[in-house]
Amino acid sequence: MADVPSEVPVWAVDALGDVYDPCCREKGISVLDMGLVRSARLDGGRARIELLLTTGWCPFASALLTEIRDRVAAQPGVTDAEVEVVWDEAWTTGRLSPKAASALRFLPSPAEIGDRDAYLDAHRPRTVQARKEPPP
Amino acid sequence: MIDDAFVFDGVAHVFNFEKKNAFGTPGEMFSNHLYAFHNALTPDDKPKLPPEEFLREWTVPDIHRMVYEESDTDMLVAMPLPLTDLYHDGLSPWERCADLAARDPDRTIFWGSVNPLEGRRALNLMERQVGEFGARAFKFYNVRYDYGSPYPWRMDDPQVAFPIFEKAQQLGVNLIGVHKGVPLGPQPIEHTQTWDMDGAAANFPDLNFVIFHVGLPFLDETCWQLIRYPNLYASLAATINFVVRAPRMFAEILGKLLFWCGEDKIVYGSEAPIFHPQWALRAFMDFQIPQDL
Repeated sequence: MADVPSEVPVWAVDALGDVYDPCCREKGISVLDMGLVRSARLDGGRARIELLLTTGWCPFASALLTEIRDRVAAQPGVTDAEVEVVWDEAWTTGRLSPKAASALRFLPSPAEIGDRDAYLDAHRPRTVQARKEPPP
Repeated sequence: MIDDAFVFDGVAHVFNFEKKNAFGTPGEMFSNHLYAFHNALTPDDKPKLPPEEFLREWTVPDIHRMVYEESDTDMLVAMPLPLTDLYHDGLSPWERCADLAARDPDRTIFWGSVNPLEGRRALNLMERQVGEFGARAFKFYNVRYDYGSPYPWRMDDPQVAFPIFEKAQQLGVNLIGVHKGVPLGPQPIEHTQTWDMDGAAANFPDLNFVIFHVGLPFLDETCWQLIRYPNLYASLAATINFVVRAPRMFAEILGKLLFWCGEDKIVYGSEAPIFHPQWALRAFMDFQIPQDL
């Protein structure tokens, strides 16, 4: 099961635990692990999901909304599902589940880093070596 | 100039969105995707064009007027699109971009563009674009649709990309731009990722590469690459247009780029006529990154 924020109710975890943004599917990181679900509420049989996108350029937003709506609508007790992308809050890496945070390599927020150069020295990945010749 | 800042616009296209110019559904999807960006990101108090006024053949005077007469832009890159797999003329034909540049040779810079999968033909066209039309750089797209299917190529491919880079160097060109991130139309996203830029930058340290759209949504990866390779740069083209609609998101993007990569690594671009340059320039000049970031 996904390691998700406590505010996401069980019915939403059941519905969305295996829904993936295509960018993260191959890493097995669900929309819940990514922290894309800001809220999930059920009022009578009417479900409402608020989503935060990692970027406004998300090319899959439309498909993702449709899949989430279909999955939620298929849950027992849900008669109608509404999914909305909200823009009044920015997604941050703080929304990642521990599983997602370990699988992805994000730079920390600048406000968290006192010494940029020291951070880079400690975390700098290897650079690619030049290779002019085609592989055999 | 806007206030006290000199404005060098790194990209405008002379689009031809005429429906008859598109090769079927993939081309129309590409056009519609760009119109959606125009409609979604243009502020509500600025003119939004109806589809029939946007999805048309833009002229050289249209772009000249929008950039130079209606905005505070000082210099411009006239940038072709080589999407001859999606459009009869590539969408922003290089000949018309050369024409746009020729009207203001002291202000407008012509970039060339070819399809590296065309081999010798591409190399010959590079020679012509530089020799006859004064191209100062080249712009590339890694996903092609030839024969109705995606034909991706990589910037670190020694057989496809490296001959193009070597030809550029022979022609005295040291600047290469590449569309990254932001899949348009039915583009497979994996081929718009930036992973291949390491190999390009490492193998051609004397070429400067600009990653357009800062590789969104792959911003962190792009930052790491700009940190490690002195010859990699990032263009804010289209990204800057979030400044009004999603200012917090834009602040996060710009803040990361400034903090990790530095202002010398960031290039501006308007993407005119998808977006009118002036509203984004004004909003950018007035923009403040929130203190908590």
